[in-house]
Amino acid sequence: MSAIHLIPRVIERDVKILFSDSFLIGIMFANFCIDLFVTAATFGNLIGSSYFLRIAPGSNLITAMVAAFQSGRDIWREKYIKDLASYLLTLPIPRKVFALSRITGGVARSVIATFPGTLVISYLYGILFSPRLIEAFVIVGVFSLGIVGLSIAVSAFASTVEVFATVRSAIQLYLSFLSTIFYDVSLFPAIVQPIVQTNPMTWAMQAFRALQSQGSTLYPIAILVGPSLAFALLGALCYLWYTKL
Amino acid sequence: MARRDIATLFRTPWIIISRSLAFIIQLFVFAYLMSGLITSYHGFFGYYAVGSVVATVASISFIIGYDIFEEAEEGLLDYLLTLPIPRREFIIGRALGGAIRAMIYTIPMFVIVAVLENFANPLSLLAAFLDMSLLAFGVTGLSITVAVSVRSANRFDVVLALLELAVSRASTALYPFNYLPGYVQAIAPYSPVTFAADSARAALTGFSLDVLGVAGLVAFVAIFLGLGATFYFRRLEGGVYA
Repeated sequence: MSAIHLIPRVIERDVKILFSDSFLIGIMFANFCIDLFVTAATFGNLIGSSYFLRIAPGSNLITAMVAAFQSGRDIWREKYIKDLASYLLTLPIPRKVFALSRITGGVARSVIATFPGTLVISYLYGILFSPRLIEAFVIVGVFSLGIVGLSIAVSAFASTVEVFATVRSAIQLYLSFLSTIFYDVSLFPAIVQPIVQTNPMTWAMQAFRALQSQGSTLYPIAILVGPSLAFALLGALCYLWYTKL
Repeated sequence: MARRDIATLFRTPWIIISRSLAFIIQLFVFAYLMSGLITSYHGFFGYYAVGSVVATVASISFIIGYDIFEEAEEGLLDYLLTLPIPRREFIIGRALGGAIRAMIYTIPMFVIVAVLENFANPLSLLAAFLDMSLLAFGVTGLSITVAVSVRSANRFDVVLALLELAVSRASTALYPFNYLPGYVQAIAPYSPVTFAADSARAALTGFSLDVLGVAGLVAFVAIFLGLGATFYFRRLEGGVYA
C-alpha cells in the first residue's frame, strides 16, 4: 500500500480516538453553549443585541481551539503516558506523511467537534440553508489547521503535562483576548495592534462577520491561511524533530 | 499532607504563571476594554475586578482534583498510601492543602484589586477574605469528588474545565445579575460562586454582611467537603487505585 493511501488510515485512527469518548464531544458542545448562551448573551444584554451576533462565532472558534489542543494532548499522552510513540513510529509510513496525517486528523477532529456549533452560528447568521454554510466550515477548518499545528509543536517540547497546560493556556489567552472577538482592533493601544492584527482568531472572526454581512470571505480567509499554514508547518517540523529523539 | 499540597503548587511554577497571566490579561486587557464599551452598567471594571478574584479562587481550588487524578494515574498514590498517616487525616489534609494554597496564591491578586478600587477597611477586607476561603474549601471538596468519580483522563480534563467554566459563568461573579439571560438568572442565585462574590462585594463596597451568602457558602462547604471526603475514602479503601 502506498504512503498516500495510508493517510486516510491515520486520519481515521485520530477521528476514532475522538469518538472513543463521545461524552467528550458532548462536553465540548456544552462548553460552546456556555460561551454563547451565557457569556455572549450577557454581553448582548449589557451592550446591545447586535453585539451578541458580533461575538457569537467566537464561542465556536474557542471550541475549535479546545478540540485542536486535544489533538496535541493526545500526541503528548502517546509519548509520555501510554508509551505508544515508539510503536506508532515503527509503522510502515514515512515520517513526513505520518506528521501531515496527524495534523490533518487533528483538523478533521476539530471540524467534527465544532460541527453542531458551526450549524448554530450559521443559523444565527441566516446561512444555514445557503451554500455559504460551506464557507463557515472552511473558516473553522483553516483556523483549526493552525491551532492543531501549534498544539503538536507544544506537545513535542513539553516534558510534563503542566508545561503543556501552561503553554496551551497562554496561547488560548492570546487567541481569545488579544484578538477582535470582543472589541475592535482600534481600541487596543497602538503597540499591541500588530499583535492583534496577526492573530489568526482576528481573521477567523472577520471571515465569520463577512458571512453575517453577506460580504466576501475571500480576503479574511486569504490572510488566515498565512498564519495557519505557518503554524501547521511548525507543528510538522516539531513532530519530525521529536520522532528523531 | 496539607503542607505537601501547598509545596506541590509552588513547586510547579507553570500553573502559577498561567493563572497569573490569565488574571492580568482578563483584568487589564479584557475588563478595561469592555468597561469602555459597556455604558448601561456604571463601574463594570470594579465589578469585574472583585469577581475575577473570586473566580480565580474557584479556579485554583479546582487544581487539587488534577493532582489527585495524576497521582493515581502515575502510581504515586500507592506510595502515599504506605505512609504512616491515617486515611481520614490524609483526606482532610488534602482538602485543607487544596484550599489554603488557593488562598495563598490569590492574596497578591486580591491586594492588586484592593489597591485599584481603594478597598481599605480592614474588617471589610477580612470578611471578603473569609468568604473566598469558604468558597475555596467547598470547591476543593467538589474537585476531589469529581477526581475520584471520573475514570478517563481526557474526560476528567474536560469535565473539570467545564465545571470550572459553569460555576464561574452561571454566577454573578463576572456579570451583574440583572444582565444575565433569564435562564441563567434562574440558577445563578444558587451558585456557590455567587454566594462568595455577592458576599465579598457586600463587605467591600457596602461594608455589610451578606448573611444569606455566608450561610449558602457554609452549606456548600459542608456538602462537598463531606462528599469529597466520603468518595475519596471509599475509593482508597475499596482498592480501586491498587
